[in-house]
Amino acid sequence: MRHEIMARPAATVLKVNLDQGESLTCEVGAMIAMSSGITVETTSRQRGGSGGIMKGLKRMFSGESFFLNHFTAQQPNQTIYLGPSLMGDVMSHPLDSATLIVQGSSWLASDPGIVIDTSWQGFGKALFSGESMFWVKCSGTGNLFVNSFGAIYEVDVNGHYTVDTGHIVAFEDSLTFKIGKAGQSLIGSFLGGEGLVCKFEGQGKLFCQSHNPPSFGKLLGPKLRPR
Amino acid sequence: MATVESMTSDVPFEITQRPDFALLTVQLEQGQKIYSEPSVMASMSPTILMKAGMKGGFKKTLGRMLGGESLIINTFTAQDGPGEVVFAPGTPGDLVHYHLDNNTLYMQRGAFLSYTDGVDLTGKWQGAKGFFSGEGLVLLKASGNGDIFFNSYGAILEIDVTNEYIVDTSYIVAFEDTLDYRVTILEGMKLGGKLKSFFFGGEGLVCKFSGQGKIWIQTRAVNPFLSWVYPFRPTKNN
Amino acid sequence: MEAEIRDKPSFAHIHVQLNPGESIIAESDAMASMSSDIQMSTRWNGGFFQAVLRRIFGGESLFVNEFTTSTGGSIVITQPLPGDMECIELDGNTMYLQPGAYIACEPTVNLGLGWAGFASFIGGEGLFRLKVSGKGKVWFGAYGGIFEREITDEYIVDTGHLVGYEPTISLKVGMSGGIFSSFFSGEGLVMRIKGPGKIYLQSRSIGGLTAWVNARIY
Repeated sequence: MRHEIMARPAATVLKVNLDQGESLTCEVGAMIAMSSGITVETTSRQRGGSGGIMKGLKRMFSGESFFLNHFTAQQPNQTIYLGPSLMGDVMSHPLDSATLIVQGSSWLASDPGIVIDTSWQGFGKALFSGESMFWVKCSGTGNLFVNSFGAIYEVDVNGHYTVDTGHIVAFEDSLTFKIGKAGQSLIGSFLGGEGLVCKFEGQGKLFCQSHNPPSFGKLLGPKLRPR
Repeated sequence: MATVESMTSDVPFEITQRPDFALLTVQLEQGQKIYSEPSVMASMSPTILMKAGMKGGFKKTLGRMLGGESLIINTFTAQDGPGEVVFAPGTPGDLVHYHLDNNTLYMQRGAFLSYTDGVDLTGKWQGAKGFFSGEGLVLLKASGNGDIFFNSYGAILEIDVTNEYIVDTSYIVAFEDTLDYRVTILEGMKLGGKLKSFFFGGEGLVCKFSGQGKIWIQTRAVNPFLSWVYPFRPTKNN
Repeated sequence: MEAEIRDKPSFAHIHVQLNPGESIIAESDAMASMSSDIQMSTRWNGGFFQAVLRRIFGGESLFVNEFTTSTGGSIVITQPLPGDMECIELDGNTMYLQPGAYIACEPTVNLGLGWAGFASFIGGEGLFRLKVSGKGKVWFGAYGGIFEREITDEYIVDTGHLVGYEPTISLKVGMSGGIFSSFFSGEGLVMRIKGPGKIYLQSRSIGGLTAWVNARIY
């Protein structure tokens, strides 16, 4: 399987070449275009694996769809184009018996060998991190494709690192985070518009998104026709 | 994506800021003209005269309206010497130049930005195919001998079809009329009789192109953005 | 200080590396992430009175944040809109920015508010403009890509596309064509910009985006 990420960082698409018999598991609705020798199968479970209704329900809580789409090439040299639903970036992250915790709705596609599960991060984070209530836990071996709003940048955390709420895309499970205040004083943090932030700890890779979707929504929304 | 620097039959142009906020700059010599849809001029030299009007008679204008375009077409003329016109569509997205050589190009509703002399632009009723595509019953049809610029939401990718290609209906921007198309549901679902994919798989209606020719697809669909912005809109009674 | 603007023009954001003792001032809520050796403090955007004026007339926030470090560290600064950013280095000169365009600056830069005039207001750009002066780097942002034009004589710009300009530039409002054309062309009023001087334009306008969305929602 070969892939190419094009038109970064706002109109990003993922182009994957599939050879006969190869398949890719994708978020529902992500397919833009493809060769005619690819077939799709929609299920609530991993390909050939575990899952079923409970996993499907858990995925729904994390902002993903109940179903997964499996695209399989029936002929040699087939291409498929995938894209997230909103403007934003796509990155590839190969896993080798490892786990990546991904913000709800940021999982785009993965090798059939990767298990997509849901992870609960506790009430504090659910309410204040500016992300979904549940997170998507991707583990196994193979390539993983994650999308964001805004451009994705990588931070190598070694000790401590602070991220504003709404800017987390994914992080390695060797990292943990807590909710805290941005400045020394809580009032100052709120007046400065930063309010609460996520404070990471540990050693590992963290992926952030450059823009925060609600900030854009709050600027654009009031100028639009009432609903 | 790279800047495009090229020429129409007689006018040099440049497409910059691709693919997210693409901008078209044309350099006109004294007396030269270019036409555009309304509200897309971002800036221009003071030597340029802008005039709004209808073009191509009643039938063509009506066709364009059914194709999601305005009744009005703006004409920019380099009246008092050479000068530039900069066009920026309202849509965040990409821009493509296409040269018509007595052939026909079909475009999705609202995709037209600008054209040069020699191009005929009207709407074309798609019949039942259009009804199922969910994207409007009328496509824009450009023909003649000249140059046309069309725009999208998201980046535009060009796909050379040599046999068959499948595109989700919400991502089609334009295609050459040498291609045949039909709206269908995905192959695998028909074979396995799995209607589930159609209803829950989200990839419901696709357009199957066949023949030889080019299609241009956009990398984002508009509807998810409109649903995303919905909760940020003001409510009616306040 | 080392600063780099990445992912132009659609999701531009600034990666800043601060040396020990250095600091950067940024618009409220502009911090996306930072290393833990950076301290944030919040203060009035240039004194209480100035801050209130800028809030009301300049489209800026009441407070700005100052990020400092005693040991060195990194910070990522962003803006709410998807779009481009530019950095200009002031050396005693002045630049005017449209309300809302300011993102960050070095502490040696002065932020002020200036009367832009009725032409600017009618042209949809606001009665006031932000005036940046002093010495040091200033970062400003836009919705859309930023492009420049060096104006020697006169240039016409549609409303909603002007981001910043030098003080030698003057603005006038005019019609885009004849009365019929100005009304039906969708262009309406335009800015007639007189040079000499440099102007910064954005390749999209919020008005254009709003019209595009409004035509598609019910």
